[in-house]
Amino acid sequence: MSYTLNFRVLMQYSGLFIDGVLLTLKICAGSLIIGFLLGSILAVMRQSGSRLARGFAAVWVEVLRNTPFLIQLFFFYYGLPQLGIYVDALTVAIIALGINSSAPNCEVIRSGLMAVKTGYYEASAALGFSRFQTFLHVVLPISLRLAFKPLTSNFVNLVLTSSVCYGITLMEIMGVAKTVSARSNRPFEIYLILLAAYCLFTYAVSFIAKAIDRKIEIKL
Amino acid sequence: MQAFDFASYARFKWSDMALILRSAGLTMEVTLLSLAMGTLLGMLLGLQRCSKNRAVKFLPLIVMEPLRNSPLIVQLFLIYYGLPSLGFHIKAMPAALATLSLNTAAFFAVLVHSSILAIPGAQWETGYALGFNKFQIYVHIIARQAVRLLIPQAITLYISQLQCSSLVSFVSLKDLTKAGQVVAQKTLLPFLIYGIVAGIYFALSYPLARLARYLEKRTGFTI
Repeated sequence: MSYTLNFRVLMQYSGLFIDGVLLTLKICAGSLIIGFLLGSILAVMRQSGSRLARGFAAVWVEVLRNTPFLIQLFFFYYGLPQLGIYVDALTVAIIALGINSSAPNCEVIRSGLMAVKTGYYEASAALGFSRFQTFLHVVLPISLRLAFKPLTSNFVNLVLTSSVCYGITLMEIMGVAKTVSARSNRPFEIYLILLAAYCLFTYAVSFIAKAIDRKIEIKL
Repeated sequence: MQAFDFASYARFKWSDMALILRSAGLTMEVTLLSLAMGTLLGMLLGLQRCSKNRAVKFLPLIVMEPLRNSPLIVQLFLIYYGLPSLGFHIKAMPAALATLSLNTAAFFAVLVHSSILAIPGAQWETGYALGFNKFQIYVHIIARQAVRLLIPQAITLYISQLQCSSLVSFVSLKDLTKAGQVVAQKTLLPFLIYGIVAGIYFALSYPLARLARYLEKRTGFTI
């Protein structure tokens, strides 16, 4: 069977695709913020003196890393209404993806925190910094700089994972692709474009990340 | 608070639990088969990446880069929905296996390549000085150490591929995730059912995670 690729027919759906991209970006931006904040809090908890906080953070991370994101998504999307909490699909997607990405973020930020040597703590103590000031002005900036590169690769993973949100009927780029492929009967072209688009986005992010990392890089 | 209305839990029958457990079998089957194929293919691609010949070294990237930088679900739909329109008719199971294997292979190849690169170059020179040929150096010196570096990372990859196998439910394969969906819709107990399904995934992958950490500690060197 001969088959000629035809990308032209997809032009009429460009509006849908743009909406899809915007929704994907919205999901990613929202969950990036949630994932980063949660990840930082968890990382600090894992380093803290309290056994309870350490244990909680450890369980949180292990559960998230050892269960599929799709199940977590279903759990929140279908499970929350059962608890009497009604939220729309977009909010669920952002929260679930944010929570999901908090686990790898926690690991990365934690290893950044661990890399700050005791000499820095002693130096700040000698300068009269309180424990909180030491953390805020010395430890945090250093460890976030160290964690920057792995954090961006976590972000790339987050963007790739966001495609799973199509599972809860969200019309992000993957959902749009599924709809358009049914309407236009051109699945091969559509998924090929999508594949290329994701690759380009990934490369762009890692290119920018590398450029920034070169500026803020520090050697301990 | 319907979730704590325990009377409604009677809707969840033993037959439903049996369905969930049976589907866990399909999840295992898909995962194990694709991991086996992916590991073999990944090993080949990874060794190819270690070649000195530029063309040989570059070729695997054509396959690996798109696989590593796009979502698994897009790859799956490209194969399952896209290939038939080109005239290659493919069923759900082979499509799922092909996608997961290729995806695993791409990530595994990177691990193989980086593990081999991590062995200091001086060891090659030492090998030559002892009169070993290239193959002997690979087998007796490099491979033994590289494998020790590789195994914990490979297990971590396997765990993430187990989670990714849940995506095959999108191409109507009756795996653990699909069974969870079916039972949750039937019993109207999503909180409980997805909790159980998550628990099964956790029970499958957490021991592996512990094993990876143990091996990483035991080998003594980490990258």
